[in-house]
Amino acid sequence: MPYEWLNTNSTAPDHSGAASHPKDTANGPAATAADPALAELHLWPYRSLPKQGFVIFIGVTAGMISIPLLAILGTMALWAILPFVGAALGGVWFALQRSYRDGRVHEELQFWPDLIKLTRHDPNRPDRHWEANPHWVQVSMRASEGPVPHYLTLKGGGREVEIGAFLSEDERRRLQGELITRLHAIR
Amino acid sequence: MADAAVHGHAHHDHRGFFTRWFMSTNHKDIGILYLFVSGVVGFISVCFTIYMRLELMEPGVQYMCMEGARLIADSAATCSPDGHLWNVLITYHGVLMMFFVVIPALFGGFGNYLMPLQIGAPDMAFPRMNNLSFWMFVAGTSLGVASMLAPGGNGQAGSGVGWVLYPPLSTTEAGISMDLAIFAVHLSGASSILGAINMITTFLNMRAPGMTLHKVPLFSWSIFVTAWMILLALPVLAGAITMLLTDRNFGTTFFDPAGGGDPILYQHILWFFGHPEVYIIIVPGFGIISHVIATFSKKPIFGYLPMVYAMVAIAALGFVVWAHHMYTVGLSLTQQSYFMLATMVIAVPTGVKIFSWIATMWGGSVEFKTPMLWAFGFLFLFTVGGVTGIVLAQAGIDRAYHDTYYVVAHFHYVMSLGAVFAIFAGIYFYMPKMSGKMLPEWAGKIHFWAMFIGANLTFFPQHFLGRQGMPRRYIDYPEAFAYWNYISSIGAFLSFASFLFFIVVLFYTLIFVKRTAPANPWNEWADTLEWTLPSPPPEHTFEQLPKQSDWDKGPAH
Repeated sequence: MPYEWLNTNSTAPDHSGAASHPKDTANGPAATAADPALAELHLWPYRSLPKQGFVIFIGVTAGMISIPLLAILGTMALWAILPFVGAALGGVWFALQRSYRDGRVHEELQFWPDLIKLTRHDPNRPDRHWEANPHWVQVSMRASEGPVPHYLTLKGGGREVEIGAFLSEDERRRLQGELITRLHAIR
Repeated sequence: MADAAVHGHAHHDHRGFFTRWFMSTNHKDIGILYLFVSGVVGFISVCFTIYMRLELMEPGVQYMCMEGARLIADSAATCSPDGHLWNVLITYHGVLMMFFVVIPALFGGFGNYLMPLQIGAPDMAFPRMNNLSFWMFVAGTSLGVASMLAPGGNGQAGSGVGWVLYPPLSTTEAGISMDLAIFAVHLSGASSILGAINMITTFLNMRAPGMTLHKVPLFSWSIFVTAWMILLALPVLAGAITMLLTDRNFGTTFFDPAGGGDPILYQHILWFFGHPEVYIIIVPGFGIISHVIATFSKKPIFGYLPMVYAMVAIAALGFVVWAHHMYTVGLSLTQQSYFMLATMVIAVPTGVKIFSWIATMWGGSVEFKTPMLWAFGFLFLFTVGGVTGIVLAQAGIDRAYHDTYYVVAHFHYVMSLGAVFAIFAGIYFYMPKMSGKMLPEWAGKIHFWAMFIGANLTFFPQHFLGRQGMPRRYIDYPEAFAYWNYISSIGAFLSFASFLFFIVVLFYTLIFVKRTAPANPWNEWADTLEWTLPSPPPEHTFEQLPKQSDWDKGPAH
């Protein structure tokens, strides 16, 4: 599920739900309200390898690659082969971590009675922010003209910004309804 | 903030020829580049074999003369045998085919092109590293060819040490040719490892939502298994040839008994790489054949999960059987017993695959389109090669067959014919997808039958020669072996003619035929994701994650 609602009960400003969130979220101070947000939406792109899978893969690789090393333990040849083996293992470790990091696009939408705030975290660039008054925010979806089908955008505060462009089509369609419901509830 | 980007999204391909093909980071373009370069190297390498079969056609030496290599025999002129030239040809035929033709074609070519498409990924995980892998492969190829022309042993060009580069032959070969060959293998190995890391990351982390490991198409699985084997085996080879390099140039004695080294150690290390290598060559072929057979039998593949785990088992077992290449070096009886049994165990997962392919066809509506013919050819030839493999696995019988033409016949049946038939099955099957153009059926059928008959005619008699005791790697042979050698050479010429015919047909199709192929030119059983795209696919594919309903067609796909 590459998006998740937190604090969905808008009457209870309990913020503990954020602790269960998979990504590290920097909860910036609200511009108008220091109170916790009424609701938060987190979105991230889909990755198919769970962390557990990474551990299993590296474990099996290290186990298999040690077979020839055991055979030449105690000979000089070990020192000729070890660097290459180490480089291969380190390389695949680094590559998988890098791939996780490349996918660490993370969008965070927070709701207050008089403020809606979207923060986008990308690897290797500063966070980008957008904020507006929920009363004037328009949720719109373009079935085909956007860069992706069913392109979902929020319009307000003089700008139109995209949300969840990395989600799948079905997820964006579902999200549109949920966003509209949420905005109605806040207004 | 990512401002909304709303504009006409008709994306046009603005790249010029140079940008597209020389600076490509697009997995589809790199895949095609791999296929073409490996095709060119394959042609060179096949030409060597034709020249060798020409020489072996008659007893005595008629063509490879010290007085100058000839293409036309001249009984009037004197001809003293040029053994070095012969050794160079067998060496580079092996090195080029192993490192620069079959792996780049199947793993680099088809793997790059199809694996991201099948799992619904927009590209490889590291597109620029993909470009680096390709150009390292080209650089390695160039070094390999340079090595053949550089000053080598016996005061002639090139090294004649055999593709396995055994010391002390390889450590004492004069000239710089051997060093260049080692660098060539280094580069190709680095290229393969980078490619493998890329494939593994893509496969593990970029599958479409819902595509669990037990739902990935078989070809993508085969590429993943291959990549994993490359990652485990190639570093060991890199270490081994680095030791050769230091033994040659820096006075180390890893493999020199005079300094406390052990030449047998090299063989162990080489074959620890070398046996997985032969599975690295054939496993992507398994993947292609599975798709072709399922498509043209109009049935889902029989036993999807056993097929996956058979590939995994073959790969895993491939790492613990290496010494069956070395029964005659003086292994203890216990060691030989172990390696013999372990080797025979590989027949079990291989049998699972063969029977599953047959069971897929069983009760299916089999349609003999060209790709299916090649898959049939693969099935037959690979099974023949597999059976002689069981024979050779017997340590006792291997005493008689070691280094005879029986071994040559065996590994050409599995690798050259098995893998090459899989490559051709893949070319005929995916040509419409890659180019939008259909290769003509009639030409494909002629190509298949000429190649099938030619290949069998070439290699089946070599079993007889091996049983008669003809040793491999010799330029000449006694009169007694003449009969089957003559027939074998005829077969080689027939295969070569079919190859030339294919090249002409391929370029005719690429240049003159119109792009008319539909997205799926076969039938609804070709149901992996690549067939949902237009033929040829646009520059960018699956920037949008595919829906599960696009690819999940129920069980066993």
